[in-house]
This record gives sequence, C-alpha cells and structure tokens, in this order.
Amino acid sequence: MSQAASNLVHTVSGTGTSADDPSSAPTRIAISGAGKKYGELQVFKDINLTFGNGEIVTVVGPSGCGKTTLLRCIDGLIPLSEGEVKIEGSPINGPREGVAMVFQHFGLFPWKTVYQNVAYGLKLARHPAAEIKEKVPYFINLVGLSGFETAFPYQLSGGMQQRCGLARALAMEPHVLLMDEPFAAVDAQTREILQFELLKIWELRPLTMVFVTHSIEEAVLMGHRVVVLKGRPSGVHEVIDVDLPAPRDRGTLGHPRFTEVREHVWSTLMDEVRAAEFEV
Amino acid sequence: MLNLINSDKRWVRWATFAAGLLLGLVIWEIVGWSFNPAFMAPFIGGDGHPGAGTRLVAFFGDEEFIDSFASSARLFATGFAIAVVTAIPFGILLARLTWLRISLESYILVLYVTPMVALIPFILSIMGFGFWPKVLVVVLFAFFPILYNTLEGARSVKPELLEVARSFRTSELAIWRDVLIPYTLPFALTGVRQALGRALVGMIAAEFFLSTSGLGEELMVASRNFNMASVLATIILVTVIGVILMRLAQSLEQRFAAWRGIEQ
Repeated sequence: MSQAASNLVHTVSGTGTSADDPSSAPTRIAISGAGKKYGELQVFKDINLTFGNGEIVTVVGPSGCGKTTLLRCIDGLIPLSEGEVKIEGSPINGPREGVAMVFQHFGLFPWKTVYQNVAYGLKLARHPAAEIKEKVPYFINLVGLSGFETAFPYQLSGGMQQRCGLARALAMEPHVLLMDEPFAAVDAQTREILQFELLKIWELRPLTMVFVTHSIEEAVLMGHRVVVLKGRPSGVHEVIDVDLPAPRDRGTLGHPRFTEVREHVWSTLMDEVRAAEFEV
Repeated sequence: MLNLINSDKRWVRWATFAAGLLLGLVIWEIVGWSFNPAFMAPFIGGDGHPGAGTRLVAFFGDEEFIDSFASSARLFATGFAIAVVTAIPFGILLARLTWLRISLESYILVLYVTPMVALIPFILSIMGFGFWPKVLVVVLFAFFPILYNTLEGARSVKPELLEVARSFRTSELAIWRDVLIPYTLPFALTGVRQALGRALVGMIAAEFFLSTSGLGEELMVASRNFNMASVLATIILVTVIGVILMRLAQSLEQRFAAWRGIEQ
C-alpha cells in the first residue's frame, strides 16, 4: 500500500496522533473581543468564545445577527473590526491551512465534475497525484456520492451538491470545519438525512466543527454546545451545554433533554425573532 | 400536407432547407440571365453569361487566385489571432481591476461603436503600406466585440465562487485558471463569433484601401473589368468561409458552455 493510502487509513481510523498533529492542544479556536462593523453599522461586538478539540459548537441567532459574518471572520475571508481570532495559537489574517468551509450556496464549480470539485483543494495545495487518486474516491464514498464522480453539479439535486461540497472540504482533512448554514438550501427530508450522516462522519473523524444555523432544532441536535447570539449589535447571550448521550441519532430527537434545550433556546430567541419579523 | 411541412423530423427539415436554397439559386439564375453580364452574373451561367458558381470552381485551379486567397488567409488569421489573445485577457483584467475598468470604460464604448473603416485613412497616413498596417485594421475590427463580451462575462462571475476559491487559499493566478477563465470562456466565445464577421469585413477593407492584395485586390480588379462572375464568385467564397467559421465558433461556444446545463 502506498504511503498516501496508509496515511489515509491512519487518519480515518482516528486512533493515533502523529508528533506534529496539534490535536493535543486543548483549545482549537479562541475568539477574543471580536467585533465587526460595516461602516456605521455594528453587526456584533465583544464576542469571546473558545472551541475545543473535536467539539461541535453550533451558533444560532435571528436573521441578521451576524452569525455567518462571524464564521467568515473565523475563516479569515473578512477581517474583524475589533479583537482577534486565534486558531491553534496563531492569529487569523486570511484563510489558512487546516480550516475548511462548507457554504450554504454549495459553491461548487459548475464546469467541474464531482470528482474534479472534490479534488480541487488537494490539487491547489499540490498534493501528490497518487495521494489525490486515493483520497478523492474515499471522500466521495464517505459522503455517499459513489457512482456520481463524472456528474456535473447541474445534474445533481441540492442535497447531492452539498454532499459534494462536504467531500471537498473533508478531503483537505482539516482540523476545523466551518459550516455556514450548510443544509438551509435543501429540502426538509434531505436535510434530516444529511444531519445524521454528518454526525456519523463526525463519529468517524472527530474534528472541531463550528456550525452556523438558523434552525434551533438543528443547533441542539448537532451541537455539544449551543451559542445563542442576540441583541443589536449582537453578542453572546448564552452558551448552553447540550449534555445529550452520544452517538446522536434519530433517537436523540425524542430525548426529554433535547426538547428541554430546544424550548429553552426558542423562548430565549422568540422575542427577538418577532421583533425582526416586523422590522421594515 | 401542412403537418408534414411543420413536422420537425430531420429529413423534412433538411428537405425544406435544401428547397429554400434551390429556389434562391433558381431565382438568381433567372435574374442573372436577364441582365447584361457587365451588371449581373447568373449562378451557373453559359454562353455569353459566365456564372459565378462556375467561376468559383475554376478558381480552385487558378494559381494566381490561390496565392491571393493564401495572402488573405494569412492576414485574417494573424489579425484575428492577435485580437483573440489580447482581448480575452484584457477583458478579464478589466473585470478584475475596477479602477482600470472605470477609467477606460468610456474609451472602450466609443471605440466599440466607432466605424473602423473611418480609421483606415488615418492608419494609412501613420503606418503606410505593408502587411502590418493591414493586420492592425483586422485587429481593430475584431478586438472590441471580443473585449466587450469578455468583460461582461467576467463581471458576472459569481462572488460566491470567488469566495470559495479564496477559502481554499487560491492564488490570483489560480483564480484566473480555475475560476475566471472557465467562467468567462462561453461569453468570450460569443464575442469571438461576432468578431469573425467583422474581421472578414476588416480584411477586405484593408485589402481595398491599404496596399491592395489578396481577395480584396481580386474583387477590385474584377469589378473594374466589369467581370461580375468573378466579383460574385469571390463574395460567395468569403461568405461561405465566414459561415463555416461562425458555425465552428458556435460549436466551441456550446462545448464550453455545457456546464451551464442548457440544451443538454
């Protein structure tokens, strides 16, 4: 078996940690005093959060609270106005290695096939061809897209397109996965299927995941912790530990604690959601 | 009967197409025979009325004519190639650098609508005779439609795709290679298709008004001699080549636009 393949199996099993693997650090992402202004408009301010290794943190809040903006700041796509984001100890001033993002709009290159889209990041980072040939089919299979390697995005359903977007991000074998309302643009049933598949993938490859969503249910189902953003400008209103048994699956939805947390978050956000709805 | 005519069966369409073409040729033949040969030539022709089509066939055995054709082809190919390889990158660059686009936009629009023929005397007085002034004329005719379409295409690149590219730490060079060029190509090829017709006009105009050569010269000499069969034969040749090139560009356009999922 080639070097690339043995590495792959090694990471996939998720057992060992190599010397330069920073997963021994307790804190993966640290956000301190973060604020963002667009001209006069202060979107959020004074956000302090830390994200641990292999932790899934979900971020909920009413529309326009800046949760997606915060995620883009973590990725380094846009700069913060105040404060800083540190990943693995180093401040972010642009997209960096080891962090991958999945977009609400999928962001697939329409002229590339599923295979070429998944291989995109690896090719850019100049991974050896042999390694790409091993990894791409593995990740296509992991997200359940085997058999669609040569399909173009326009030939796929929304759910399949997002599977492809997920495979493209996972193929980079990131330590941090940033999810920007990844399932908001797919239909409700597909969304549920994708949620549970993502949880299964995370069981296989536990990585730090920051998951932005406007669905309270999704936030509570996926998150080990739920960050509730609220206010104008918004800030962290509450961070809730979701102490639900692992692994999370369909059964989680019927768990009394799930209902409890969901209702709690809902009542926290309800006033503000109402206000936002009637705002012109 | 009406059902058959309106049917979209392949052979019916071809038969209709052929019938239209044939009818046109018959009318041409009748018109050709009913005028003095110094004013109009029929297509096939005969005694006292030399035909344009017949002359066209004879051209392929005429070495002098083949030389003229080669000379024109060289002029066209050089000018058109220069226009394509400069206009496409320049168009993408303009879309990428907002300040450059804003500062040049008005000039581009002015030059796009300028009748290029009017610039020929100007080019003559500055550059004189020779091959390259003629190439410049072809370039000027072809450049702006390609530039304009490329610019419009490159400006419509989805910001989401650029964001994805940035998130994957794509360099500016790779953004061109992986995002801008593949996205813009179908638009640029629309411009290329429009530019083909213009470049042919530019070629003939340059050969008329600068140092006469090639098919332009053939046309000029033939019309001075009231040799309508040769005039029309040359025009047919240029037109047929134009149509073939446009069809070629159209299929390229479709090939590179396949990802849009239209007409699949």
